[in-house]
Amino acid sequence: MKILRLQCKAEILRVLRNPYFVFWSLLMPIVFYFIFTKVVNTGAPDKAEWQAHYLMSMTAFSVMGSSIMTLGIRIVQERQHGWATFMRLTPLSDTVYFTAQMMGQTVIHLFSIIVIFTAGALINGVSLTALEWISSGAWILIASTPFLALGTLIGLMRRVETAAGISNVIYMAMAVAGGMWMPLEIMPKIMQTIGKWLPSYNFGNGAWAIVQGNAPEWRNILILIAYLVLFMLLSKYIRRKQEAM
Amino acid sequence: MTEIVRIQHVSKTFQDKKAVNNVSFSIKKGEVIAILGPNGAGKTTTISMLLGLLHPTSGSIQLFGLNPSEKKVREKIGTMLQEVSVMNGLKSKELLELIRNYYPNPLSLKELIQLTGLTDTDLRTRAEKLSGGQKRRLSFALALSGNPDLIMFDEPTVGMDITSRNRFWKTIKQLAAQGKTIIFTTHYLQEADDVAERILLFHNGSIIADGTPAEIKARIAKQAVSFTTNDPFQAFEKLNQHSVVTNIYQKNERIIVQTGDTDAVLALLFEEKVGAQQIQIENGKLEEAFEQLTNNHQEAM
Repeated sequence: MKILRLQCKAEILRVLRNPYFVFWSLLMPIVFYFIFTKVVNTGAPDKAEWQAHYLMSMTAFSVMGSSIMTLGIRIVQERQHGWATFMRLTPLSDTVYFTAQMMGQTVIHLFSIIVIFTAGALINGVSLTALEWISSGAWILIASTPFLALGTLIGLMRRVETAAGISNVIYMAMAVAGGMWMPLEIMPKIMQTIGKWLPSYNFGNGAWAIVQGNAPEWRNILILIAYLVLFMLLSKYIRRKQEAM
Repeated sequence: MTEIVRIQHVSKTFQDKKAVNNVSFSIKKGEVIAILGPNGAGKTTTISMLLGLLHPTSGSIQLFGLNPSEKKVREKIGTMLQEVSVMNGLKSKELLELIRNYYPNPLSLKELIQLTGLTDTDLRTRAEKLSGGQKRRLSFALALSGNPDLIMFDEPTVGMDITSRNRFWKTIKQLAAQGKTIIFTTHYLQEADDVAERILLFHNGSIIADGTPAEIKARIAKQAVSFTTNDPFQAFEKLNQHSVVTNIYQKNERIIVQTGDTDAVLALLFEEKVGAQQIQIENGKLEEAFEQLTNNHQEAM
């Protein structure tokens, strides 16, 4: 237990010291949030609603990013540089190592959520009920699991450069096509149809529903679970193939 | 004395290349062993199997009487891999503190500093900003952090400057004096000679010699007679018939005849009329002999 705690602490420290994380997962979402709610006039009919909606978008965007990029690239790095091999030679069990990584990542997400929510409250005075704050935060935290699985999938790539490139593309494409940068409603019909099947849209939509006083739709939950299973099976399959070599 | 390592009839095949071929040896507590051989001899494959990173295609490997990947074994071994790597984002000190916690009786930070020569600056630097030499020191400290009984190094001194190299070997001797078992791979004969009590000489995946450095040297640092001739082919033919000649080869125009008795070979040169010119008696440099032995192993046997 002590080892798990220390391991988590180390993992959290590492993420916080990672400039990638600070830039992409904290700075960028807050800057975007500022621009699209303060600087650019989006012409949204209900200003307060748009400010709350976009705060959820940016928080989800941040957490999705650190799941896919921070986690994925780090796993590749550790393997490519031989650190993963060294860890295998220590008495630390793989389970503890993996659990600590996931727990550390979750704490980091919680931290990002709190920081971005606070920024939203400070920049636009977004006011939600306590229950809405908590349940939207909890949704973003829990529903990010498929993206953690996607991060581990990216972690199976052989080279850091490939992993960084591919994860960046996936991340940005999913953010835009999933309505995180601008609402899906203003996009062409075909984009809307595709977007609704993406994990990013379903992830964001749960939080958008919560701040409107509704519960996330079942459809969102089911699609996210389906993606989680898909990514896990894919990782398992690829890992087995890699080990067979 | 207890047996720490036991390898029996181990082979490892990658696709169709046989990297290690039917190797058997055992290592007792407190031995300092060098696995010596040229590149591609199977040294790294062997040590990777000892570490449990690779599984042998056939044969069995036991460390402390157990499978190398058991947790009980992991608690007793320390290792420094060829590719030096450390976890990004943590300072050396934080990393050492973390890793020490994995083991039941770790060495104290103070002991680790004393053994490896880590400086205060090293300890305060984040892993990704360490220089090559600093990384080496840190990974040496990481290897020792669990106070291991068995320490394995794969080519430990590659990329070290002379000062760090000397310091490293000094520490290794100190650890050996404490009764630790140490296994390292190297392709420098000199290093094996200076530090190891026993050398396992690898070539093409097999052990071709196993003994103390003195024994190995006696075997490989053969005396030789060399000469030039207009008809090397005939010289080879004629000299090869005599048992006093242990090996014969050509190097830069000169024919080199290895032997235990240079006087007898000199006599032979004239008896057989091989047309020898510019005759020299060579006492055989160790490094050269080692190179010869590993290069011409098939012919020599």
